[in-house]
Amino acid sequence: MQLVEKENDGITVLELGGRLDSNTSKVLEDKVMELLGQGKKQVLMDFKEVDYINSTGLRVLLLALQQLKKIQGRLVLSTIKDYMKEVFEISGYTEIFPIYATQEEALAHFS
Amino acid sequence: MQPGFSLRIHNRLLELDRIADAVEVFGEAHGLPHKLRFKIRLVLDELLTNIINYGYCDNGDHVVRVSMGQDGSRLRFVLEDDARPFNPLSAKSPDFETSVADRKIGGLGIHLVRVIMDRVAYERVGGTNRLILEKDID
Repeated sequence: MQLVEKENDGITVLELGGRLDSNTSKVLEDKVMELLGQGKKQVLMDFKEVDYINSTGLRVLLLALQQLKKIQGRLVLSTIKDYMKEVFEISGYTEIFPIYATQEEALAHFS
Repeated sequence: MQPGFSLRIHNRLLELDRIADAVEVFGEAHGLPHKLRFKIRLVLDELLTNIINYGYCDNGDHVVRVSMGQDGSRLRFVLEDDARPFNPLSAKSPDFETSVADRKIGGLGIHLVRVIMDRVAYERVGGTNRLILEKDID
């Protein structure tokens, strides 16, 4: 899994790539915990380069959302590949996560 | 049943890479769209991850047999393992009515399997769990 962290006007952008599965999702979970420890509250996860996700990866997203909501923070997702979108729907995630087609649209969500 | 293929994997998560490759080869051979290949890989991943992580009471080496085939407009996958008896069909689905804050982190993998596949059957034969999964294609 690849993870690039950027700051954009108070929003932490995590550009993710590769696979979010049982072997790799811990990297993202640790990053989320690190951000929470730093007091970061506005997080955008960009899935542009993610080509695979399973329930372990999906669980990390829910965990991140739950932790951020506790401190009145926000988690927004963007750029999920078409063939993976249905899995987000089946998981009920399209109801609980703001999901945008592009990173730019997701950034606008925060303003 | 058109000839498919089967492979044997060991009870280690890194073996799932071989499943991913096998699904690509199977998908290519059967002309399956990318989205369907993804779903098949996901279903097998979820079930095998459960078996590998929770199925065995010892730390020994175990083999899981995975078969893939096509019968007309039906894809069929069979998983056979010697883990402790476990029927995924008896697992509870996540409660999607609960609020985000209270939503349980778990149960999602089996839910994905049930929704994605058209038929799932479980049987325990001797010391073997056998799970038969079918997916209809157009």
